Amino acid sequence: MTAPSVTLGRPRARRFPSASLALVGAMTALAAVGPFLVATDPNAQDLLRVLEPASWAQPLGTDHLGRDVLARVVHGAPRSLGIALLCVLAASGVGVALGLAAAYGTRLADAVIMRLSDLMLAFPGILLALLLSGFLGGGIVPMLIGIKLTLWPQFARMARAVAIGVLQEPHVEAAELAGFSKHVILARHVLPPVLRQTMTLTTLGLGSAVMSISALGFLGLGLQPPTPEWGAMINELLPYLSEAPAQMAAPCLAIFLAVLGFTLAGQAVADETVRSESAP
Amino acid sequence: MTVLDVRNLTIHDARRRALVTDASISAGSGEPLVIIGETGSGKSLVAQAILGLLPRGFTVAGTVAIGGGAPIAADRADDLRRSWARDIMLLPQEPRAALDPIMRVGRQLAEAAVDRSEGPGAALMAVDLEPSVARLYPFSLSGGMAQRVLVATALVGASPVVIADEPTKGLDAARVARTADLLKSLVREGRALVAITHDLALARSLGGTVAVMKDGRIVESGPAARVFSEPTHPYTRAWLAADPSTWAGCRRCFDMDDLVLAAHGLRFGYPGRPALFDALDLHVPRGGVMALTGPSGCGKTTLGNVLLGIQAPAAGEVTWAGADPFRDPAALRRLRRRYQKLHQDPVSVFVPHRTVGRQLADLGQVMPGFDVTVVLPPLLERLKLAPALLGRYPGEISGGEAQRLALARVLLMEPSLIVADEPTSRLDPLVQKEVIGLLRGLVDERGMGMVLISHDLALARATADEVIDMTNDRRR
Amino acid sequence: MSPIVQAVSTRALQALLTAWVLATLCFAFVHALPGDTALRIAAARVGEDRVTAETADRIRREEGLDRPIVVQYGDWIARLAVADLGRSLVSRRPVTDDLAYHGRFTLGLGAIGWLLSYAVALPIGVLAGFRPEGWVDRLSTAVSVGIASLPSFLVGIGLISLFALTLRWLPPAGFRTGAHMVLPAVTLALGLAAFSIRIIRNAVVEVRSAFYMTFARIKGLGVRQAFRSHGVRNAAIPVATFAALQFAYVVDGFVVIETLFNYPGLGELLVKALLARDVPVIMGAGLMIGLLYAAANLIADLVCLTLDPRRAAQAAA
Repeated sequence: MTAPSVTLGRPRARRFPSASLALVGAMTALAAVGPFLVATDPNAQDLLRVLEPASWAQPLGTDHLGRDVLARVVHGAPRSLGIALLCVLAASGVGVALGLAAAYGTRLADAVIMRLSDLMLAFPGILLALLLSGFLGGGIVPMLIGIKLTLWPQFARMARAVAIGVLQEPHVEAAELAGFSKHVILARHVLPPVLRQTMTLTTLGLGSAVMSISALGFLGLGLQPPTPEWGAMINELLPYLSEAPAQMAAPCLAIFLAVLGFTLAGQAVADETVRSESAP
Repeated sequence: MTVLDVRNLTIHDARRRALVTDASISAGSGEPLVIIGETGSGKSLVAQAILGLLPRGFTVAGTVAIGGGAPIAADRADDLRRSWARDIMLLPQEPRAALDPIMRVGRQLAEAAVDRSEGPGAALMAVDLEPSVARLYPFSLSGGMAQRVLVATALVGASPVVIADEPTKGLDAARVARTADLLKSLVREGRALVAITHDLALARSLGGTVAVMKDGRIVESGPAARVFSEPTHPYTRAWLAADPSTWAGCRRCFDMDDLVLAAHGLRFGYPGRPALFDALDLHVPRGGVMALTGPSGCGKTTLGNVLLGIQAPAAGEVTWAGADPFRDPAALRRLRRRYQKLHQDPVSVFVPHRTVGRQLADLGQVMPGFDVTVVLPPLLERLKLAPALLGRYPGEISGGEAQRLALARVLLMEPSLIVADEPTSRLDPLVQKEVIGLLRGLVDERGMGMVLISHDLALARATADEVIDMTNDRRR
Repeated sequence: MSPIVQAVSTRALQALLTAWVLATLCFAFVHALPGDTALRIAAARVGEDRVTAETADRIRREEGLDRPIVVQYGDWIARLAVADLGRSLVSRRPVTDDLAYHGRFTLGLGAIGWLLSYAVALPIGVLAGFRPEGWVDRLSTAVSVGIASLPSFLVGIGLISLFALTLRWLPPAGFRTGAHMVLPAVTLALGLAAFSIRIIRNAVVEVRSAFYMTFARIKGLGVRQAFRSHGVRNAAIPVATFAALQFAYVVDGFVVIETLFNYPGLGELLVKALLARDVPVIMGAGLMIGLLYAAANLIADLVCLTLDPRRAAQAAA
């Protein structure tokens, strides 16, 4: 009788994994093949036909410069999602590497890396990306650096905590006694749980990166016009909100579905991790 | 006077498997009742059913009468819960989890008191705690102190029945004795004590009535003196025979020129604390078993690690087959796989996300000329392990099998010495006897040396040729 | 109390350090920029098409941009010590005046939005926690996951289209009347509540399933009594800590919200300054935002220390 509890609710069953999978899949497909399917040039202006409602030729209508909104949303997908993916992969790579270095390294290395991540966590998240983008005049690189800088500490902390926990487990000692090398132990014993645990962060991080990128675009500090990026599109269309609500809705919905997909997927991954940890 | 009377208790889980079948027990004021059984025997479920705390989805039949009241149908959890505090009290297995982490001990004690005018001091003194403990928060209590606080909670309350759930789980012999004394103080106060345990030593020292459970049934019950001296059920007899204190000791003499391990003048201590051991000598001959025993924290495991070349001693030297692993790196590399460890938790020596079979085969990567398909089958047969187990993940294997698989893993490296760190502390007594018998047999067959680390003095004495008691380093 | 004082002063020092690093970064960025700073300032002041080399030179001399960077930085820090942040390059007003003016708006909006969010989140979160998997729980989970997946400007755009453009109940943007505060405050509150509802709900669920709650019942306390004396205090620790931390999230969120609603807070000030490259204002606003953020973190620590004796004991050790 381990602490008998008046059971007040079962542990959560797996939540919406299929919905999140469908959403993430659809978004990936949109980004990967969408631009090839929609051949219309997203930057082709037609000043005679501005803010036109939906039609067969332009299913989502045109914007204030007469550009095709559908084409802009579809061609925006690889930018918004691709940059998010780059940011998160870079952040998780740097974070996991530094976290492992902290777990394996000397006390000094550990202290330096952890204080650094404390300092980064004490920074207002978007501000850094904002300042970088603002100063460096928009574009991909400052955004990448800014968002990556705000994301890596979480990865480092989790990787360090998991690695320290694993290194104390008997199977690591047993492997050392059997004469396995440090590299084999790192690859076989330490890395798999670290990657499994950081999967959740990776997925959730994608969602927050999409949000940050679009927020920067919205503020006019991200990718610069006429690049079809969702946040920048919203910024451009904002003055015409009352005349062209449908055109505005398209990029909004795209951002919402992408973030929702990653959030739900992150939740599903987290549930799965908990489930596999607690399996008999 | 009978204050707890449970009749025909039957419990099924959500999948309709019978976990407890037709169990009846009763306990009177001022008497201990001990329900003893192995893990999974259903003993804890009986306690949960009496308290109305069975997990959701379980079905239960039978009646429970508490405090001399009318019998209550056991499936009416709400009615059973009404007797909490008034008629029945629980001493839970994890005493610290029962205390609100951010409220001072004194206030929590006062909540349970019948007589609120009296401070917590008297109750704390009755369980040998300073009255000042009342001002502490639970996080600064040790496990033992927390248990005493809970006994004090039972003492300030009025309930005539107290259920103690596994009160000695994970405790060494000295602490078991102290806990038994503590529980007896409840009996002296006139409470009926229902102790749920797997611990024969506790059952023996509590006395009273004993009910032995196996596979959800009470197979034998009666006065403790009678059950322990003249057991009638074969299971009880087997179990009592599995108690190491009844085994025939086997002390042999060896050729002290053929040593697999020697240590001289070992000292080890953490900075700022007294040395765990000092000027310690030991010799393990080929085919010999040496036991290290003592309470937790006495440095047994550390000494084991020193002997295995994992932790360097502050002073003294370790000799493996004539070489010092701390001073001779070449010898360490050459002999590394000959000096192995058997861990307390056998499941955790395997990486969780790789099948056991693959992990055994992995050893080929570090051992030239090792062919797992040749060596493994006879070894599995010797250890009575089914080859099908190799396809499983570590999490899917039960305790006894896992310990034998861990043993197989170590034996594949053909060790000259095994340090077995509490290899059976998580196993039930019958399985313990089997594993220990197997280990002894293998030591003889293979001419290995073994260092057994155990908090259980009786087990150490029954297994080893020589015992070092690390409490005060006395050879026995 | 001294260990708490010690822990807090460590944190306060850390906060100041963060603000300083942030300000220094701003300074470094500005001067690491490619191109002629004086020329850009001139363009911002007199207009892109009327900039000449003379105007740029004049500005360079006036603003001391021709001095070595170390000197400029030292000068900036020295003046910072006496709360002089210089003058805006565009409006020529002292930066401190700008910060005081815009800071008021930000703090007002932040406080109202934060209070509003907890007025909504507390009852819903507690209800959901008392009936996990009940309809309140399911509905609030679905809604908060939805809102959490929307960047704050989308929530704001949605609210503007509904309440300002369609129903015409509220003004869409600006700051003249109290009615102008409603939409930005609600936008902020929704974003905050989307997270705090889950935190509150989880804290309540966790506390209710903790064994010490069951044991309190076994000791003879009633359901309500057990929750009052053990549940509330334990659940309050994570919730209060998170609530204080969310004040930091306000800092994150208002940049976007203020820009959307054209609300004259610090965020709007910063974005406008960034677009105009008004360096002293950027640095001042960055510093101010950093300080606010650090203050919120400090308050979260304080809350945790006062509510949780375990943390207090750790701090003492």
